[in-house]
Amino acid sequence: MKGRLALFIGPLCLVLFLLGCDNRSGGQGGATLSQLAGGGSPVGEGQAGWLGELLSYVVLPFLLEGALLAVQISALAMVGGVFLGLGLALMRLSSHAPIRAAAWIYIWFVRGTPQLLQLVFLYDALPGIGIKLDTFTTAVIGFALNEAAFSAEIIRGGILSVNRNQTVAAASLGMGSLLALRRIILPQAMRAILPGMANDTIGMIKGTSIASVIFVNELTFRSQQIVGQNFKFFTVFAAAGIIYLILTSAISLAQTALERRFNHELEPSAGGASSWKRFLGWGSSWLPGRVAAKAALPAAVGASPVLAASRPETAAERSAHGLLWRKHLLAANAQEADEEGRPFVVCYNVCKSYGGREVLRNLDLTVKRGEVVTIIGPSGSGKSTLLRLINHLEHVDWGDIKVDGQYVGYEKDGATMRPIRDLAKARADARIGMVFQHFNLFNHLTAVQNISEAPVQVYREDPKKAHKLALSLLASVGLGRHADHLPHRLSGGQQQRVAIARALAISPRLMLFDEPTSALDAELVGEVLAVIRRLAETGMTMIVVTHEIRFAREVADRVVFMDEGSIVEQGTPAEVLDNPKEERTQRFLRMVEREETVADA
Amino acid sequence: MVRSKLLFAVAVVLGSSAMILGTVPAARAADPPKCEPDKLAAKYPGLAGKKIIIGQDGESPPYSFRDPKDFNTIIGADADMVRAAFKCIGGQFEFKLGGWSGLLPAVIAGQADVMWDNLYFTTERAKQVDYVVYMIAGTGALVKKGNPKKITGMDSTCGLTATAGLGTVEEAAFRDQSEKCKAAGKAVINIMTYPDIPAGTRLIQNDRADILLSDLAMVDQLSANNPTVFERGFKVISDFKIGVAMKKGNEDLLKAIADALTVLQADGTQKKIYEQYKLDPALILPIAIQR
Repeated sequence: MKGRLALFIGPLCLVLFLLGCDNRSGGQGGATLSQLAGGGSPVGEGQAGWLGELLSYVVLPFLLEGALLAVQISALAMVGGVFLGLGLALMRLSSHAPIRAAAWIYIWFVRGTPQLLQLVFLYDALPGIGIKLDTFTTAVIGFALNEAAFSAEIIRGGILSVNRNQTVAAASLGMGSLLALRRIILPQAMRAILPGMANDTIGMIKGTSIASVIFVNELTFRSQQIVGQNFKFFTVFAAAGIIYLILTSAISLAQTALERRFNHELEPSAGGASSWKRFLGWGSSWLPGRVAAKAALPAAVGASPVLAASRPETAAERSAHGLLWRKHLLAANAQEADEEGRPFVVCYNVCKSYGGREVLRNLDLTVKRGEVVTIIGPSGSGKSTLLRLINHLEHVDWGDIKVDGQYVGYEKDGATMRPIRDLAKARADARIGMVFQHFNLFNHLTAVQNISEAPVQVYREDPKKAHKLALSLLASVGLGRHADHLPHRLSGGQQQRVAIARALAISPRLMLFDEPTSALDAELVGEVLAVIRRLAETGMTMIVVTHEIRFAREVADRVVFMDEGSIVEQGTPAEVLDNPKEERTQRFLRMVEREETVADA
Repeated sequence: MVRSKLLFAVAVVLGSSAMILGTVPAARAADPPKCEPDKLAAKYPGLAGKKIIIGQDGESPPYSFRDPKDFNTIIGADADMVRAAFKCIGGQFEFKLGGWSGLLPAVIAGQADVMWDNLYFTTERAKQVDYVVYMIAGTGALVKKGNPKKITGMDSTCGLTATAGLGTVEEAAFRDQSEKCKAAGKAVINIMTYPDIPAGTRLIQNDRADILLSDLAMVDQLSANNPTVFERGFKVISDFKIGVAMKKGNEDLLKAIADALTVLQADGTQKKIYEQYKLDPALILPIAIQR
């Protein structure tokens, strides 16, 4: 109520003020607007008089040309400024100190000095060294250089606002940093970037008036010239204000439209009406689950029949499906079938510290092809770190890790492993799928887009084929009817199943699971474990870090118990879980058992 | 009218070396100068085939302002003198309009050739530019109609609210006067500064200030155009000279403008133009080159 009143009173005051002013200046001499317009319609006294005068200034070509000039300068300067700003923002985020420092100094200097002086410097000092820029060019360059400093900080803020787990997930899929920036980070950062950018654009359009010192005859300067000549400041400045308001309103509208476009909490409109259908609850997502699952099934059979099957499989089926699985998802290594049982992941004497704290010490671990290894152990025992070293999300400090006989993104230099330059390609070539504790789905992409992103962008597969594969993978994890849903619409268990499908889409030769159920509510754990269990049955080589002892017992060929950065004990589930030799293992298992009993009760 | 010295100071820092100050009477050969536009290349070889850029602000009536009948044309006493001078010199020129405070830095940087916009001569500026002086500055006091505070001279401004352009000689004059008021045991002057003259007139119109000090012609025109609102309280003819400024080293341009103005003064054109814009012809100063 109060707000509405203010809305009403605001314009009323303005109108009253305008009227009052007109009365006072009514008798003022000098040119009237009818004279200015070269005759025109006779302008009456009173309200119609000033209103007509105001409107005729609003449409006066002399002022509109000034407005056009302001728009031209702002548009060009914004484009240049945003690109330079992006570059500066990336420099500010660089890991190299001199690059960071250079960007910091630029921003410090440009933000810290008056723009008026910058413009005068560009215009009047550069001729001293033989660079004579014209007025328009100077204004565009001057405003662009200034905008670069401000937008760099806005863009940097946007990038920092995107959760780091998005970068990690992109890296695990073999995406290089530029690709991840373009496809994953910036689209999500846009929401944080846009409001600031719209502010800057509006500020710049109005701020071009300071360029009158370098002979830019834009809107404010032109209106000042008219006022300087007839002293009718109120109608002229009000008209200029209205023109500015129209321009800035257009920017505000564009801002709204762009914010909708980059709002990943809104479902994307895949095809016009479909988003409305989704919004109203129609379309495929409305179908009862069974019907949708049935519809999705035929496609799933074509691509990954094993995962689509929900009934328990016989041993014969398992091996048959295992072969099928390889045929479809492990096409890259068809020769593997007869190599089962040979060492696939070999960690030798691996050491890793964070800031002086040893996380892994002299760790040896070998995982055979087709083997499912679960790693258990207390928090902080280095389990997750080991996984991140295997797919080279982090560098090893010392020791050797080979996957299928190859270093992943290292070159051997004497005894030390040196990371190579094109780490992303090495990761992509290694085809190691990873599933994270917190899912790390790309928040701005639908379930199906999450899955097809890496095949299309990293492995350059045909988008249509990748989409089809993604749909069938989704169906195989029981989410066929959630293909067009954004992650935030899915439950934790559903998100984790999408994440598994995403990891499978790159045809992995090795799957790493980093506590895949730790972030899930108890009732959602089962659905995720079921998917992993079926995957294990296909013969996929897997390393699973988990706290689910029962699951480990059921699925693992081998259980590894880690504590304080090294392997304490390893063996079959029966050996490690039922008859642990080490005291530390026994203690850990007793503790976990107690927790599980409490949870069950 | 003297405006903000800020940009000028910047320009001084950025700009060229200081040169010797001196006053030289306009070069008068055996014969008085004549208008011979056809002989441009022979008389002023430096100007042959060159378009001279004239810097003006277009918002300072009656010197330089937009023609009410056609906003794309610049008129005023200074603008019309430019036209008359180049008709006499021959050759091409072009107006370039920008904020007044940006004009002199542009001339020093070579972005414009001439500043011809009611510029006072100061020794500080003369270190960077050469002048052809043509007029004496007059100062007028603008007050509300009826002169309610009975302001008849600077000594009657003690205790009042006064306004002048930021960084102008008028502002300095008020500060001087304020000190005098204080010394005489009277109330000091409350000084407000304005960015452009219309903003200053609004202060008088709305009773926010009692007196505005500015260029005499401007004050006269304001009171003539708004006889029910303003009137002139008093006037002072100062010893400030007003001139055309160009960067040092442009001897041909300097000589050409000095010659042309000498002719225009002699044949009465300058007086005619001044009368047209209600400028007091008594302010006309014999043409001289001043460095």
